[in-house]
Amino acid sequence: DLTLNTTTPNLSLSSTLSSPRATAYLQNSSHPPLWAHKCHWALDLKPFKLLGILDVENIPCARDSVLYGSLGSVVAGLGHFLLTSRIRRSCDVGVGGFIVVTLGCWFHCRYNYAKLRIQERLAREGIKNKILYESTHLDPARKQTNGGSSGN
Amino acid sequence: MAYPMQLGFQDATSPIMEELLHFHDHTLMIVFLISSLVLYIISLMLTTKLTHTSTMDAQEVETIWTILPAIILIMIALPSLRILYMMDEINNPSLTVKTMGHQWYWSYEYTDYEDLSFDSYMIPTSELKPGELRLLEVDNRVVLPMEMTVRMLISSEDVLPSWAVPSLGLKTDAIPGRLNQTTLMSTRPGLFYGQCSEICGSNHSFMPIVLELVPLKYFEKWSASML
Repeated sequence: DLTLNTTTPNLSLSSTLSSPRATAYLQNSSHPPLWAHKCHWALDLKPFKLLGILDVENIPCARDSVLYGSLGSVVAGLGHFLLTSRIRRSCDVGVGGFIVVTLGCWFHCRYNYAKLRIQERLAREGIKNKILYESTHLDPARKQTNGGSSGN
Repeated sequence: MAYPMQLGFQDATSPIMEELLHFHDHTLMIVFLISSLVLYIISLMLTTKLTHTSTMDAQEVETIWTILPAIILIMIALPSLRILYMMDEINNPSLTVKTMGHQWYWSYEYTDYEDLSFDSYMIPTSELKPGELRLLEVDNRVVLPMEMTVRMLISSEDVLPSWAVPSLGLKTDAIPGRLNQTTLMSTRPGLFYGQCSEICGSNHSFMPIVLELVPLKYFEKWSASML
C-alpha cells in the first residue's frame, strides 16, 4: 500500500512564523490536520493585504514595487511642492508619481523574474538529464562533443 | 488543498496554474493602482471648495479618460488571451483517464491498456480517521503519474456536475451525452483536492475529487494491484 508524505509543499515565507494553535497540533498529535501546516497564519497571522486585496507578502515583486512607488511618490510630490509651493497640485503629482513608479518597477521586476524562472527551469532540466542519461548514448555532454567533432 | 478563511489561490501544481497565478498578480496590481487613484480622487472631491458650474466641454480630460482605459484593457486582454489559448493546447498526452459524474460520486476508468474502473465516494465525517480532511477525503483516490501529460475525458451519467481541481487550474463541466476533454500535468507529487463545482442535487457539496500524483513506477504498481 503506497503511503505518501502529505506535508504541504511550497510553504510561503509567512507560514514559517509560529502559531500556538497549529504548533500544538504539530507537536502533540500523531496525525496533525493538514491545515495546521499551512493555515496557522490564517488563524493567527493573516497576510497583510494593501486595500484588502494586494497580498504584498506573497506576490513576488509586489512589496518592492509598492515601496519604490511610495518613495517615488514622496520624491515627486515633495519636489513639485518645493518648486511651485502648490499643495493640491503637488499631491496630484505625488499620486501620479506613485502610479507610474509602481507600474514601472512592477513590470521591470516581473520581466526579470520571468527570465529567472526560465533559466531555473532550464538548469533543473539540464541537471536532471545529466543525472539520468550520464554515460548513455543520450548523455547531453556526449551529444555536444559529437556535434563539435563532426563539424571539423 | 484549501484551508479555512482562504481568499487567494492555492499553490500552483501545473504550469498552466502558474501562468494563471502570474496573470492574476498582473491584473491585481493594475486593479490596485486604479483603486488607489479612485480613492484619491474621491478624497479630493470631498475636500474641495472649488466648483465650476458652467463647464461646457473638457476635451483634454475626455481624451485621456478614453485612451487610458483602452490601453489598460489591452494590457489585460493580451496576456489573458495568451493563457486562454494555452489552456486549450493538448500536448501529446501519455495516458487517458475517463471520469463519469453521477449523483453523487465520481467514477474513473483507466482503459488504455486493461480495464480498470472504480467509484470514488466521499468518506463520511463519522468515518474519518484522525488527521483526515472533512468533506474532502474519498475512499478511492485517482492515482496518476506525475510529470506526464494526462488526458481527462469528463462526462456524466445523469445530472451536470463539474470536475474541478483548483491547484492544477482545472474545472470542466460533466455533461451527459457529451465528452469534455482537459489535460493535466503535475510538476510535483502529492495529494490534490477538488470539489464538485456545479450544483447537481442535494449532495453536490459531498462529492470531492482527490488526485494522488506519484512517480511513474508507483503508478504502475498501483494499477497492477488494482486489476
